[in-house]
Amino acid sequence: MSVTSVHTRPGTGSWGLIRGILWTTLGLAAVVAISMDLGLSPKGMAAGFEKLGQFLVAMVPPSDGGDFSRILTALMETLAMALAGTCLAVLAAIPLGIIGAKNVVRNPLFHFLYRRGLDIFRGVPALVWALIFVAAFGLGPFGGVLALAAADIPSLSKLFAEALENGDPGPVEGVRAAGVSPLLELRFGLAPQMAPIMASQCLYFLESNFRHAAVLGIVGAGGIGFELEERIRVFAFDQVAFIILLYIVAVSLLDTASGWLRRTLR
Amino acid sequence: MSPDDAISNFETARRRQLRRQWLKSSAGLLISSLLLAAAFHQSQFFTADIGGDPARRILDFLSRLVPELRGEVLFRGTETPGSLSAWFYDLPAWLAAIRETLEMAALATVFGAAGATLVSFLCSRNLMPWAPVRFVVRRSLEVIRTLPDLVLALILVAAFGAGPTAGVIALTVSTVGSLGKLFAEINEEVDPRQLEALDAAGAGLLTRIRFGLIPQVLPNYASYSLLRLEGNVAAAGALGIVGAGGIGLELQRAITYTEFSTYLAILLLLVSVIFVIDLTSEAIRHRLILSQDREP
Repeated sequence: MSVTSVHTRPGTGSWGLIRGILWTTLGLAAVVAISMDLGLSPKGMAAGFEKLGQFLVAMVPPSDGGDFSRILTALMETLAMALAGTCLAVLAAIPLGIIGAKNVVRNPLFHFLYRRGLDIFRGVPALVWALIFVAAFGLGPFGGVLALAAADIPSLSKLFAEALENGDPGPVEGVRAAGVSPLLELRFGLAPQMAPIMASQCLYFLESNFRHAAVLGIVGAGGIGFELEERIRVFAFDQVAFIILLYIVAVSLLDTASGWLRRTLR
Repeated sequence: MSPDDAISNFETARRRQLRRQWLKSSAGLLISSLLLAAAFHQSQFFTADIGGDPARRILDFLSRLVPELRGEVLFRGTETPGSLSAWFYDLPAWLAAIRETLEMAALATVFGAAGATLVSFLCSRNLMPWAPVRFVVRRSLEVIRTLPDLVLALILVAAFGAGPTAGVIALTVSTVGSLGKLFAEINEEVDPRQLEALDAAGAGLLTRIRFGLIPQVLPNYASYSLLRLEGNVAAAGALGIVGAGGIGLELQRAITYTEFSTYLAILLLLVSVIFVIDLTSEAIRHRLILSQDREP
């Protein structure tokens, strides 16, 4: 090929071509091996997609099944869970974030271990927390709110700690020079810098919590997820489609509202 | 205007501004506290019956969560209560389930990245001249991103039956949704001169993509895909709870038998695997960014 020969960098000539083919073959082999290990078969896929097609046909036209007010209540409950969960997470993350900031607790070993500790629990999905909280505290949104908070606290604490570390020390020094108490230093030196950043992060977490909260009902933690699962179980796909459409509208409304609020606060 | 007038004008203006600011922030505070109060009320957070005195319930929960380990028999076999291996009594099964979780995440990331590459060509301004196609593809990706992967998994489990197939498809779809948008943004940022040069040399569409586009976007594609892989591993951990394969099934089983300390053991295992994956992928991503900076 004439275009390849223009390259003179090592690794892109014919040796590069061989290497490329080798890596591609290895990659494809890995994909095939993993698919076989997971038991992904073309036959099973075909049968599944055929069923999925039937579901999609059954989704039209969407119908509320005469349960509109109940679905709406469940959606409001989901939103309430998201708000309450975000609020709890913020309340917990403020002190945890302050402790985790390099410029507050100056011990580097503590800082390293603490931040790694937060990192370790950052990946646990809310549903995993919800499963055990519902088992411990009973069915209902209580466990769901706790689960949302538990899933957010590590990443929110980390973000708050980073916001504190990146704060401009100038205003704090200015307020300190006026000879006020440390509390007022925080109030007038640091808080005005932190508040918009933190508020915008809280809104982002509220948006993502609304998405996470929608599935918590699957394990009995309240909200729209329960209604959804119930209808999937009895193959009432016209109602499933209705709930999903309503949910998409609700998500875009919340995202629009929160985006407007973020721009206003900035 | 005398200096005194100027000062008093300034003072009134400032007082007015302070008052307006105070009104605005107290209105904001009032509205947000009302909203939060309504939220806590609606979610019955403080009123729900959680089975007795909350403090005692929480203590009870924690005591069931933390296993009873005894120092003197810590490294004995599975039969000795109080040893580590009694706590992690089903370790081989859990590791097999975690392998399944990792395989699901890896496969979904590969399929998802491949799908996202194709889709991103359809909705990049500089590659797809036809606006309606871009509009439709972008809106569809938005809808996919709105749907939580677990809702997709729930529907797919009903179609494909319980098992990893439903999980892989659900994760693939949501990966296409998020990576498709990011890839399109990367495509739109490329240097158009390389594409124009190939065009001038009379190259066809495929040649132009292969030599004009791919070399520019590949490091960013790879870096975002790795980031997504980290997310997919965590997401795959929960899929088993709805029957879509992986370690979630073991978590569900531990809850069915109300073995809270077993739940903690599996959770710790999952969390450490996620952590190792995150560290590895982070290291690779940093190298990718560095290699990109070195080449002009």
